[in-house]
Amino acid sequence: MVLLPRPTPGPVPSAGPSSSLSRCPRIPSPGGTLSPLPGDTSVLAGLYGPAEVKGSRESPDGATVEVLLRPKVGLPGVAERSREQLLRRTFEAVLLGSLHPRTSITVVLQVLSDAGSLLACCLNAACMGLLDAGLPLSSLFCGVTCALDPHGDIILDPTARQEQEAHAVLTFAIDSAQRKVLATTTRGSCSAEEMQRCLVAAQRAADTIFQFYRDCVQRKYSKS
Amino acid sequence: MKETPLSNCERRFLLRAIQERKRLDGRQCYDYRNVRISFGPEHGCCVVELGKTRVLGQVSCELVPPKPNRATEGILFCNLELSPMAAPGFEPGRQSELLVKVNRLIERCLRNSKCIDTESLCVVAGEKVWQIRVDLHLLNHDGNIVDAASIAGIVALCHFRRPDVSVQGKEVTVYSPEERDPVPLSIHHMPICVSFAFFQQGTYLLVDPNEREERVMDGLLVIAMNKHREICTIQSSGGIMLLKDQVLRCSKITAVKVAEITELIQKALENDQKLRKEGGKFGFAESIPNQKITAFKMDSAAVDTNNVEEQAEEIITKADPPSEVFAKPILHTPGTAQIGEGIENAWGDLEESEREEAAEEEGESSTTAFECQRTETEDTSMMNEAKDDPIVLSDSEEEEVVILEPQEVPKKTRPQTTLKQESTSKKAFNKKRRKKRASR
Amino acid sequence: VGAPRPQRSPRREGPGLLGPCCGAAPLRTVEPLEYYRRFLKENCRPDGRELGEFRATTVNIGSITTADGSALVKLGNTTVICGVKAELAAPALDSANKGYIVPNVELPSLCSTRFRSGPPGEEAQAASQFIADVIENSQIIAKEDLCIADGKLAWVLYCDIICLDYDGNILDASTFALLAALKNVQLPSVTINEETGLSEVNLKQKNPLVIRKHPVATSFAIFDDTLLIVDPTAEEEDLATGTVTVVTDEDDRLCSVHKPGGSPLTGAKLQDCISRAITRHKEVKKLIDKVIKSIKPK
Repeated sequence: MVLLPRPTPGPVPSAGPSSSLSRCPRIPSPGGTLSPLPGDTSVLAGLYGPAEVKGSRESPDGATVEVLLRPKVGLPGVAERSREQLLRRTFEAVLLGSLHPRTSITVVLQVLSDAGSLLACCLNAACMGLLDAGLPLSSLFCGVTCALDPHGDIILDPTARQEQEAHAVLTFAIDSAQRKVLATTTRGSCSAEEMQRCLVAAQRAADTIFQFYRDCVQRKYSKS
Repeated sequence: MKETPLSNCERRFLLRAIQERKRLDGRQCYDYRNVRISFGPEHGCCVVELGKTRVLGQVSCELVPPKPNRATEGILFCNLELSPMAAPGFEPGRQSELLVKVNRLIERCLRNSKCIDTESLCVVAGEKVWQIRVDLHLLNHDGNIVDAASIAGIVALCHFRRPDVSVQGKEVTVYSPEERDPVPLSIHHMPICVSFAFFQQGTYLLVDPNEREERVMDGLLVIAMNKHREICTIQSSGGIMLLKDQVLRCSKITAVKVAEITELIQKALENDQKLRKEGGKFGFAESIPNQKITAFKMDSAAVDTNNVEEQAEEIITKADPPSEVFAKPILHTPGTAQIGEGIENAWGDLEESEREEAAEEEGESSTTAFECQRTETEDTSMMNEAKDDPIVLSDSEEEEVVILEPQEVPKKTRPQTTLKQESTSKKAFNKKRRKKRASR
Repeated sequence: VGAPRPQRSPRREGPGLLGPCCGAAPLRTVEPLEYYRRFLKENCRPDGRELGEFRATTVNIGSITTADGSALVKLGNTTVICGVKAELAAPALDSANKGYIVPNVELPSLCSTRFRSGPPGEEAQAASQFIADVIENSQIIAKEDLCIADGKLAWVLYCDIICLDYDGNILDASTFALLAALKNVQLPSVTINEETGLSEVNLKQKNPLVIRKHPVATSFAIFDDTLLIVDPTAEEEDLATGTVTVVTDEDDRLCSVHKPGGSPLTGAKLQDCISRAITRHKEVKKLIDKVIKSIKPK
């Protein structure tokens, strides 16, 4: 489910925030049927920009992208920083930042609940946020998490428990133009063949998610 | 991003409206905005909406050693975060004045009022107690953060379940939710904050001010109270003088509002419990009303992963297999070795020259210093040529000096000759250095 | 078109690809990307390497005598030192039979002009997390091996990785330094006296750590969205449109495929990276074996 409200009351500033709440669509793997478990991962994305930028961060070539990932419990640590870097570089790759030089684009991601596949959900929420803010993008992207269970079968969009039991968990960011890999990060170890299998599965799943994006936006801009 | 300041005409407009007993959102002076409570998928997680102000509350627990002066009491810790998610003016990680003030108030409201029984959180006296942590995140800022955060805090605490433990001697066993049902915290009472904004030195009063009203107010009175009409905390800020009657009137209003909100909280908690028992759907995603145009939901969709293997196989077979040719590692001294690829070299000679060198440069600790020389692949060939010369312990800086001499490298020459020339020049250079050293 | 960047180290000019009328140095300053493209078109790089070629890799182990294990790794100019310090501590409640490995990557201001002193920046934190992930994913050391007495005593290995000279590809150098330093660790034997319940450390009898896996990282920079170059220098990293790091172990399993954003790649390109990483692993494995053998008492 995706929510695209304008949260700030009163007159929205020109560089107003937009936010989106994304719930990963749950995709069962072909083998086992996976009932949509109560309690899915949800991430709230808020976006500001293009807005003024602090002097030291100003870039004459393009927009400065800043990503803040807020965990639900405690303060952001090293793990969040590393994810922020991955997310920021992913956004930079698709954002046509050169159209907005000397500005800042801030993406704030707040974890609302983590039931597995968190990074993929962050990517999806952020992409919806970018889309809702109307920023020029070269392509869309989506996040897909694959887990390899002990038998070597692929589980798409695993739950927290499945992630724990899996011998490897791979997260891909796939672009919408050519289904190429924008970003990837892995946990656990797997063979090259298993990785390629996951990648192909993720690329297939990406089609479903892009269709979901399309439906969301269509619904948003249609009168009903 | 900076906060957009309020213009003078906006300020005047707001104040005049307040004088005429009108509020921008159409409320009466003593009206509280709608409170909406939704629960997350796990226990101890809730979102409280006060009009457009939204706060996420999350409670977590951990076994820690107790504070030395309170060996038999658990610890309650509250923390409110103001991230730019709520409003562009908030900076992440900065302890702003507002943040410190609100945090202090929440702490007084939840912790100092002893609303939860901390003694029941003791596991082994003096050794292990539960630390209950309440994380509050402001998701959207439309005024009156304190009230929303206090409601979110107490709701999350009421909703939370901690794992069950058993103690045998000094061995503590923590049970997973599957083994034993988690236990709720024992809550003595539910303190709730109600804020009053004063305008024109206390002439006008508004309950539950929104963000605009907060900006033009002169003073703020916050009263925390439970449904038994016990005041837990009272704070007046902004530097206005209030009459006794005003405070009394406010406390009466507080009592009414608190009774309403407590009832709402209890209803919401019961509702959620019922849903969970019935195994229905809950969680934020479920609580978003579906009829909203901007909300959209997709149920699980099957993805065809049938011939994934073949496709993956194809990619792998098409790719070049890993090369079977490797560079051989070269051992310089015990504990130091190198691989430099793509260069064919008589390394044995090099080693010899190094040994000589090592002997020459006695006293200087050997191995690490050498490496500087071998950094660039070209160096190795150069050193070969210069093997009869004892190599001066120099580092790459020098060769850079050599290159920088304008006459040295004619760009037209082919790579190999360039290399040779450079190395000869280097040789000459080294010789010079050696002479210098000798003369010293 | 990129802004002119300060030249950190004027290095040897490459082969004479550029016509006589066109001086290379000004081009490198004014249009560094164009300068690089001209080299890459000819399948070589300004420092004379081929696209798939690593810089010379040098390793020295036991560089710090005060540490329990240490190694210094040079990858061209990039220099990284890793020291492992072992301490005793009580294991965590929920994993009573496990020790701890605490890695930390430091990028102090001395190693490059791009870093400032003070708390670690994003790159240092991301590198620390990467190293922690590699340790966790590859199971380089079984944490159970670090436990001395269940629930009572275990080793904590503090692995401090400090960059001394930053010239790109910090992840490969750090991973290698960590591996070499761990191979070098000698822990004193610890016994628990049953009568007193106190631990006794025998400093004379030292045992090496059991290294279960040998993870080796191979980094690539993506140039102009398509071209992959191995072992990028700092300059190449700045000009590149993305990086990929592949970590493999001796069984050719992937311990990490880390691509933090940047230009999109196809699966086939990733496979090329993996093939190259496997070759690199074999080379590095030989290197480390040789070094370890060389210091073994004969």
